[in-house]
Amino acid sequence: MPNQLRLNSGANACCGGGGGGGDTSLFSDWTQAWRYASLQPTLGQSSATMYGRLPGTSGGNATVAGGGVLSGSGTGGAGGACGGVGTSSSTHDKLKIGFCTDLDKSVLVNNFEKRGWHQVNGDDDWHFYWAGVQTCRNIFSVDSGYRMHDNQMINHFPNHYELSRKDLLVKNIKRYRKDLERDGNPLAEKTESNNSSGTRYLYLDFVPTTFVLPADYNMFVEEYRKFPLSTWIMKPCGKSQGAGIFLINKLSKLKKWSREAKGPFHPQIAKESYVISRYIDNPLLIGGKKFDLRLYVLVASFRPLKAYLFKQGFCRFCTVKYDTSVTELDNMYVHLTNVSVQKHGGEYNTLHGGKWSVQNLALYLEGTRGKDVTDRLFGAISWLIVHSLRAVAPVMASDRHCFECYGYDIIIDNALKPWLVEVNASPSLTSTTVNDRILKYKLIDNILSVVLPPDGVPDVRWNKVPSADALGNFELLIDEELAAQDEAQNSTASSHPKATKVGSRWK
Amino acid sequence: MEELQDASIHHMTAKVISAIKNTKCYEPIYKELQKLVCNPSVDTNDMRNTLEDAIKGAGLETEIRNVIYNLVRSRISKNELNEKSLPTSKQSSKTAVSDPLGYLKRAGVLWDRRVRKSLNAMCAELKVPLHGQPRISSDREDFVAKWNELSNYNMDLANYRPVYAPKDLLEVLLSLKGPAKTTTENTDQIPQWEFSHIALPVKNLFELRSHYADLLRSDNYSAMDTTTQCQRILEGRHAPMCQQFLKKGCTPAPYRGALWASVLDSKLHDYDIDYWQKLRNSVWTTDHIVDKLVFKDIQLTASNDDQYFVFEDVLYQVLLCFSRDTDIGNCVEYETFPVKGKTYEGPPSGVVPFHGICMFAAPFCYLYDSPVNLYYTFRAFYVRYCHRLTTINTHPQGIVSLCLLFEKLLQTYEPQLWSHFRELQIQPLRVVFKWLMRAFSGHLPPDQLLVLWDLILGFDSLEILPLFAIIILSFRKESIMQVASLDSIEAILADLSSIKVLPLVQLALSRD
Repeated sequence: MPNQLRLNSGANACCGGGGGGGDTSLFSDWTQAWRYASLQPTLGQSSATMYGRLPGTSGGNATVAGGGVLSGSGTGGAGGACGGVGTSSSTHDKLKIGFCTDLDKSVLVNNFEKRGWHQVNGDDDWHFYWAGVQTCRNIFSVDSGYRMHDNQMINHFPNHYELSRKDLLVKNIKRYRKDLERDGNPLAEKTESNNSSGTRYLYLDFVPTTFVLPADYNMFVEEYRKFPLSTWIMKPCGKSQGAGIFLINKLSKLKKWSREAKGPFHPQIAKESYVISRYIDNPLLIGGKKFDLRLYVLVASFRPLKAYLFKQGFCRFCTVKYDTSVTELDNMYVHLTNVSVQKHGGEYNTLHGGKWSVQNLALYLEGTRGKDVTDRLFGAISWLIVHSLRAVAPVMASDRHCFECYGYDIIIDNALKPWLVEVNASPSLTSTTVNDRILKYKLIDNILSVVLPPDGVPDVRWNKVPSADALGNFELLIDEELAAQDEAQNSTASSHPKATKVGSRWK
Repeated sequence: MEELQDASIHHMTAKVISAIKNTKCYEPIYKELQKLVCNPSVDTNDMRNTLEDAIKGAGLETEIRNVIYNLVRSRISKNELNEKSLPTSKQSSKTAVSDPLGYLKRAGVLWDRRVRKSLNAMCAELKVPLHGQPRISSDREDFVAKWNELSNYNMDLANYRPVYAPKDLLEVLLSLKGPAKTTTENTDQIPQWEFSHIALPVKNLFELRSHYADLLRSDNYSAMDTTTQCQRILEGRHAPMCQQFLKKGCTPAPYRGALWASVLDSKLHDYDIDYWQKLRNSVWTTDHIVDKLVFKDIQLTASNDDQYFVFEDVLYQVLLCFSRDTDIGNCVEYETFPVKGKTYEGPPSGVVPFHGICMFAAPFCYLYDSPVNLYYTFRAFYVRYCHRLTTINTHPQGIVSLCLLFEKLLQTYEPQLWSHFRELQIQPLRVVFKWLMRAFSGHLPPDQLLVLWDLILGFDSLEILPLFAIIILSFRKESIMQVASLDSIEAILADLSSIKVLPLVQLALSRD
């Protein structure tokens, strides 16, 4: 939609001035509109591209973000840690912004260098750190005594594991629901039904029934006995990428596993804890294939909660055939001239990696199921994300220097209901296809424009309200601070805690 | 005078009636009519009026109207009609003088023959009969079992190649030589790669603007929003109205499937479902060389496509049945011209699959869940439009005419680009041909492609394709002017993912 708006405004602005004499071009005034709509870049534009610097261009400060003058107060005088001269009249390129990254990925480095930042080590003066989990533990640990200053930002919250560890996530959600129930909040309303799913929360039922083992073993057995036909999935709490996961549909199998597992399966000496969840055995199939949804959610702050959803999520399909080969044709069989494989778009050599955009999912669902159910599904997904974040907000250390981009894994069942499977605090930045690479580049680019102040200099003191342009492909999920301000302004203040902005259309 | 008019209307009516009697839907409608006659509201004393009312009340009138509408546009040959009976039918009559185009028709026939000859040669080389052979029972069981997941069906395709690809057709088109040019243009470029020597009538921009005028008309008088409009129109079930709605280019996705089915007259009847099963059974029982070609094509194109790979299993089903459907051969118009030499047979459908043919079907996967629905709508679309893109013919919307239209528009309205291409000695057609031949499928993202195809259906014309190609070139003109090689130009035009169809087309057509 933004593209369309910009295009029209640009074109209208230029249509007034007519073409010169003898100009029969269809679109002589379109060059301006084209620039505004930021389509395919010309060679004359920024020297830094997502593939790195173009050869032969000077490595100057080809900043795209920011570009404003440093505000005189604050950053200029943030002390020697900045490593640059910062006088109030200096422009931004006097303050050399240093970035540090534990991951050597071009989608990261190119985005940083595009902003004119230079790379430093963790021990040097850094202003922006894309850190791995271990580094975070060191930085945030009480023993290290590390104190970040106002011009430093880092990409993890100290205790992100409250969201990313499966057992803690479940624990936090359960606690959240109980708290709401105890407060008599209508959100925690339950349904007393006699059907197979038993008593369910009406609005907060977005995680499959889950128990932590070994702690909740007895509760699990009770639930299991109620629904003996269900299948359950066992997942180790601390692992990722599907390691150690298996299904069981008989209690005896679980007991057998516990006997065979390394180390005694004893509540007091559990080496590794597991979660066991009701397996979603009726996933939505498209083209006969199963898939799950990967969505990126950026959290700039937990208290007040400020979360943004990246509109370009994707579906991951599991049974993708990779055994096709795009071979060059020779004209052995055909008596025509110049038979050859038609590559269109230059993309058909790369495999799609089983990834299908969420926009296509929405288009397909609208076309085959209708708009209402599709809107309801995407609304439910936004709802799920917001409440999962709210659930952990009270226990999260909402450090001002921190932001985090989570990878949400969601499964949709064939009733078009979304289920939260997992939240990743370090979603993979490896690119498997060309499109994937473009997507991840844009993701990092937009993350930076959202969390950085408008002038592009890392600073924790700004109001953390990104402009519409800065959001890029992110859409605001919830901003509790803004919502509170709006409510304060409205005279009819019904203090409904449901101050969420359910995500608008994803297109 | 009036008598003459009456006589001609009477003549026309008789023709239409006899044509209706030959269609498949005649019997069900007649049966419905017979039931209505027994309705208590029909009075034998005032048969005509009461029966008419009953027909209207039952919605049968709309159905009959639709039948007539579709018949007139497709079945009755244009030469038999003395007048245009419905304003929306835009098929112009074939040129009376066939001499200037004789060579073109001949080329068309030769092309068809060549393609079939290749297929025959492939069969001979691989020692399989052209008409297929019964499947061995183990293979048949395997096929039946995997019918819904044909991507898992293993087939050794190493020895199979697509029969031809768009590039081949392009080469043939570019080498078409007309009668010797009598004008003495002193150009240092060899003129034969221009299409302007082909004497096919094509529209110019003004004519295009009037043809597409409805795109620019704004609907200020309508108090309803688009969704309600759609619902009302679909309740009415009147095909011309559905077509009119598609002209706006703002079809909501949930209604598109139904609208297209109405315009393409592909509503499912029981006999359609039976026929589909018959086709499916023939695929199960007979092994045909086109099966291998279909598999190869889908594996090379749709399965590798980010937007469509999800639907590969459905596409297998649809394309396999398509290849066995003899009805297609009866509906498709082929060029005729007396040509010496052997004639070769083709597959049952009459259509020899080429590289990328499945991409015509792929966008339909976003509209229909069930393969049967998909199949009939896709088949109607193919017969009505796509086929003209794949053969050399003199039809005003055939690929040759579209190429000619493209070149004329480019030369007239983007002279800078035109001379730029000439300086670089690149035929501009080379750059856009793959878009034209595939109707942009696989090049535009699905949601925009569907809008473009809305316009094809709404205005009943493929002319939007070269027009849109020009629009894109014009839109990226600055970049194109800066580069000097075919590869760079293709790189500039490779990514169309940010293009929005409707605003661009509206803007292009609205300039004075």
